[in-house]
Amino acid sequence: MPPVADTEFDAHVRKMMTWHFGKDTGSPFWLAKLGALGFDPVADVQGVRDLTMFPDVSAELRTAPAQDLIPRGLADRAFRVYDSGGTTGSPKRIVDSGYRSHMLGWARHRLIESGIPESGNWLHLGPSGPHVIGFDVARYAALGGGVFYTVDLDPRWVKRLLAEGREEDADEYVQHLLDQAETILQTQDIAVLSTTPPLLEAICARRGLYEAVREKVQAVIWAGTSISTENLRQVGEVFFPDAAVVGVYGNSLMGVAPQRPAAPGDPHPCVFEPFPATTRLELVDGDGRPVGYGERGRVRLHLVTEEMFLPNVLERDSAIRVGPRPGSSVDGLADVQTYREIDDVHVIEGVY
Amino acid sequence: MSGVATLVTVDPYVCGRTVHSADRSRLPSVLGGDLADVGLAPHLLALSALGEIRQHADGRSPGAGVFTEAARLFAGETLDGEGPGEYAARVSQATGLTAAAVAQAVEDLVAELTQLPRTTAAELPGTGFGPGFETRWVPRGRTFTAVMASNHPTPNAAWAQALFHGYSVLVRPGSRDPFTARRLMRALLAAGLPPGKVAYLPCSHRTGEFLLSEADRGIVYGGDSAVRRWQGHESVAVRGPGRTKALLDTDPGDAVVEHLAVSASFDGGTRCTNLSAVLTSRPVGEVADRLAERLGRLPSLPAADGQATLLVADRERAERIRRQVDALRAELTDHSARFDPGESVVELADGSFLLRPVVLSADRPNHPVVGTELPFPFVVVAPWSGADGVAPLRDSLVLNLLTDREDLVDAAVREPSVRKVTRGAVLPWTAVPGIPHDDNYTQFLLEPKGIVVRG
Repeated sequence: MPPVADTEFDAHVRKMMTWHFGKDTGSPFWLAKLGALGFDPVADVQGVRDLTMFPDVSAELRTAPAQDLIPRGLADRAFRVYDSGGTTGSPKRIVDSGYRSHMLGWARHRLIESGIPESGNWLHLGPSGPHVIGFDVARYAALGGGVFYTVDLDPRWVKRLLAEGREEDADEYVQHLLDQAETILQTQDIAVLSTTPPLLEAICARRGLYEAVREKVQAVIWAGTSISTENLRQVGEVFFPDAAVVGVYGNSLMGVAPQRPAAPGDPHPCVFEPFPATTRLELVDGDGRPVGYGERGRVRLHLVTEEMFLPNVLERDSAIRVGPRPGSSVDGLADVQTYREIDDVHVIEGVY
Repeated sequence: MSGVATLVTVDPYVCGRTVHSADRSRLPSVLGGDLADVGLAPHLLALSALGEIRQHADGRSPGAGVFTEAARLFAGETLDGEGPGEYAARVSQATGLTAAAVAQAVEDLVAELTQLPRTTAAELPGTGFGPGFETRWVPRGRTFTAVMASNHPTPNAAWAQALFHGYSVLVRPGSRDPFTARRLMRALLAAGLPPGKVAYLPCSHRTGEFLLSEADRGIVYGGDSAVRRWQGHESVAVRGPGRTKALLDTDPGDAVVEHLAVSASFDGGTRCTNLSAVLTSRPVGEVADRLAERLGRLPSLPAADGQATLLVADRERAERIRRQVDALRAELTDHSARFDPGESVVELADGSFLLRPVVLSADRPNHPVVGTELPFPFVVVAPWSGADGVAPLRDSLVLNLLTDREDLVDAAVREPSVRKVTRGAVLPWTAVPGIPHDDNYTQFLLEPKGIVVRG
């Protein structure tokens, strides 16, 4: 699918306002908010710039009944619920019927442009279950006619162990995951490995497993957490020089933003681009104003699809704003990191 | 110091070559602005360095001559463009140690390096057991990781000692002092250390911990949170807060107060052996007042001044420490407030912030603040009576006993959590080769192997 120009996206936004706020088509979740918005979405929202008029409702996704998120106009379709990562308490929930698959079809082409083989089997060493990334990767494999392998991975358990200072227990769990990955790699043909940067580090530290991956795998996809520039360079140049190494930024709410193919003179080795048809990722300063190109800002998401409407969501990430590629209507994001407010930086210094 | 042109560049160095890292971090100067642009080794760079170090690790010592020569070069020569004066200024501006403290540290490092054969001989028992029977002390492994702190340069001798005994070494320098480990490594290489023996990896504490867990032996310096994980690990020597204490069971005359003040404030109070607590059978308020008065007389001078003794910090760090101390001051009786009535953090003309000494008193020996160690002269005085016995004196890297109670001295020496005992007006760090800092470090590195020969 070719990138959609901004005027096209604005038209898409207007169409979706009519859909999400039409009483026969919109979701109970949004229709219930209509009175309290203080504006008329159908008349007043003319394009992407007006989406910031909406409140950030993402926190409500922790408690709202997922059924209320389903637009009435799609009542005859089957939906699934997916969760955000979540460490303690309730995760944020999204509903999906066919949108995600549609977006993944686009994303797969982007991955192929970056060197992921068009066919072959996939090993996903990452979260599955309620975490949508497991679905995403299974879908990539299916679209290429490959077999999908995975292992159970509960990221919330790992986060809890780390929060309790139980690093050794967390490490033991990681080794348990790697044991299973090694078993798969010993007997099965794997063309693509999909995993997270911390697990990639752990793989490289286990010689036998590392050698098996290096020997068999044609492409490594990393996603789920950030990776430092030097670490990424080491992955590509030192540890897996013969494989395509491709990053995917994303989460349950926003979908996926695969790495765009490197352009000559690109100052960043890895630049992400979201699905232009439905998604805008803006990088903004503390007052919500877009930062300039080359500057770091906090990620603000607008997701506008027939199935979900999530405008004006401030994400927990920051990134550097990179100009669009020729012909593209969306900016790129580079060097994604966890966003920190100045007040968060209160670090308790030890003795030294 | 904020101009880009003056920034010092620091990068990882692995087996003889500089590795320019794409991950950069700024090191602030106590004078304001940034002092250095530091290339950090992320996990995978550290992992490749570890692989390379392992390949070259042969367990052979480079010989004592390398260390004597390295000591000479470290103290006096220009190494990779860095003169000794430049080095000292960098350490001082990065850590806030006074010029005098850095000069003393260089002297101490030189002494430790040149004394390595003597230290080894003093810490190992005899090896001959009659004709045909001997033991040989050999490294307990091939690789060694040092996770350094930045409070003081001298502990860097610990990883040089591992090299001396044949280990191949990975050093994670202190984040505020990347300079000492780098200079010492350069001196060793210039003196003939084979390049494959050493990797210098500025990195996060987490990556340092990974290297510690992978090495055969290692040492970790730092605060409670940094060292907790390694307590009880056989392969890791832990150098946490010293919680050095004194038992004052005599009248606090001028000479004794002077001795306690120097114990607390020498090198700006940054050593793990600097005095942190005084337990006394004499009136607590009076002892604390006298110590506060004596420490209050120390002048507020920039670190570069030859007369300076107190630690300085950049604005942010000073502010952080001030907040921490204010909470403790509110909890206990503050004696420095009376004798040192100015600000507890003093902004100096050179842009740095000086941390004034703080003396507090507690009403009981087991108060949780007793033994709190902060990186500047900070002493808590608490009551002690014969009935309390050795219990309040536990958990001391050094215990200074100013008492005539011989039974108590004996109990203190037998107490496992007391690591060294001094008597009289002895500064806590006083030692000669053979006096352990904390257990027998040579035997931590080496193990005896029996060799029996017939015919």
